[in-house]
Amino acid sequence: MNALDFSIAAQAWPYLWSGLIFSLSLTAAAFAIGMVLGTCLALVQHFEIPVLAQLVRGYVAVIRSIPLILVLFWFFFLVPIVLGHLIGNGRPIPIGANATAFITFGLFEAAYYSEIIRVGLRAVNKGQFEACQALALSTYDTYRHIVLPQVLRVASPIILSQTIILFQDTSLVYVLSLTDLLGAASKLAQLNGRLVEMYLVVAVTYLAISSAASQCVAALRKRYAVATSR
Amino acid sequence: MPQETVSNTAQTAAIVVVENVMKRFGAFTALNDVTLRVGKGEKIVLCGPSGSGKSTLIRCINHIEKHDGGRIVVDGVELSHRVADINSVRCEVGMVFQSFNLFPHLTVAENCMLAPMKVRGLSQAEARDRALGLLQKVRIGDQADKYPAQLSGGQQQRVAIARALCMQPKIMLFDEPTSALDPEMVKEVLDTMIELARDGMTMVCVTHEMGFAREVADRVVFMDRGSIIEEADPETFFRAPRTERAKGFLNQIIH
Ligand SMILES: Nc1ncnc2c1ncn2[C@@H]1O[C@H](COP(=O)(O)OP(=O)(O)OP(=O)(O)O)[C@@H](O)[C@H]1O
Ligand SMILES: [Mg+2]
Repeated sequence: MNALDFSIAAQAWPYLWSGLIFSLSLTAAAFAIGMVLGTCLALVQHFEIPVLAQLVRGYVAVIRSIPLILVLFWFFFLVPIVLGHLIGNGRPIPIGANATAFITFGLFEAAYYSEIIRVGLRAVNKGQFEACQALALSTYDTYRHIVLPQVLRVASPIILSQTIILFQDTSLVYVLSLTDLLGAASKLAQLNGRLVEMYLVVAVTYLAISSAASQCVAALRKRYAVATSR
Repeated sequence: MPQETVSNTAQTAAIVVVENVMKRFGAFTALNDVTLRVGKGEKIVLCGPSGSGKSTLIRCINHIEKHDGGRIVVDGVELSHRVADINSVRCEVGMVFQSFNLFPHLTVAENCMLAPMKVRGLSQAEARDRALGLLQKVRIGDQADKYPAQLSGGQQQRVAIARALCMQPKIMLFDEPTSALDPEMVKEVLDTMIELARDGMTMVCVTHEMGFAREVADRVVFMDRGSIIEEADPETFFRAPRTERAKGFLNQIIH
């Protein structure tokens, strides 16, 4: 076997970089969509809104029991057909690989985040609600300024852990023929035959980003522990 | 009878009227036909054994618990199911809890500013001015930008008092405000409450602090098993309780 040659990796870096940027943008977008939607889904269940709460529970249960890769497939192949029947003349309306990836990841993450937030909502001390009532705060202000900020604070380490998993899962977009960091590396590896170098560079990049994020998780945990200890 | 005149004056100037109130938790009756009038500026100490319904009674006054029967009128507004009535009553009634219930993610000043801004419509600057003034009054003005967890229990409870006062309530309810505190911090909180009493605040306090009751209470109200069974001025109540149950209770808290 040849000696390792990392100059290949240096040449390949611009292409890997664009893959990395895609992975990070997909993570960021899925995080944003997932958090906003996930919070809504959690609140719908928390307030036991009739009918909607049952639907949301079903949605969360289904999404959480199916591998992401299957959801990606289904979304990519089924949604255009469904859309076609709903608004068009029955002919499939393609929604494109990129849109599929962003929407699917967002919807998928929303289910996971909503579970985290739902559990967090139940953990808020009853006394906090009573203090809000005694101060005549509206339900909206109570949740907006007191309950949700506390939930997000307590849940932030778990939310960030979930987001690290999400970042790693972005490699699944290869099924949509999209090129993320891992996808970029494997394409190059097949072209130049430098599999080991390519995969090492990619592994180190994932490791660096994920462990930096893990450090943040640890810091958050510590900070939260300090803030609540009396 | 002098008794008659006392209750009549209280009735005419009553700011809190609790009339024949019932409260059940499932099959359990927590309040059974409770009637209590609190005059403007009056200080009432509520006491009684654990489970007698003291907390339930004061929590009905600001509708944290819904009463199942009877009437509660606070400052002329009857508590009904109307959200507007409930909110207008809650604006006039401040409450201090045994476990402080400060908002841990907000600073001391922010704890005090939130409700005045959201409910009373104060600007941030007005709310902060008011908060700092009242924090000064409860002698923790220098802690305004700390978080609750950085303060001692006694300081936290004084923040809770300041937070309630920032809404400029007409009535203050206290539910065992000192019983979660280390003994050396009880006095600073009681002193704050005594000062508030001197300022003329209408107060209903659940507490077993007899020294406090003697010093500020106009009336001690003794509850047992969901009913008020004795009412008297503190001197009379502590020296010569009429009912056996009150005697037994006083023996217990002294020993
Ligand atoms: N949410 C509730 N659900 C069921 N029972 C309740 C509830 N709140 C209070 N109770 C019951 O009502 C009774 C009166 O409770 P309350 O808290 O008013 O008593 P208290 O006089 O304040 O007692 P303590 O001195 O222990 O605080 C108790 O027996 C209690 O178990
Ligand atoms: Mg109680």
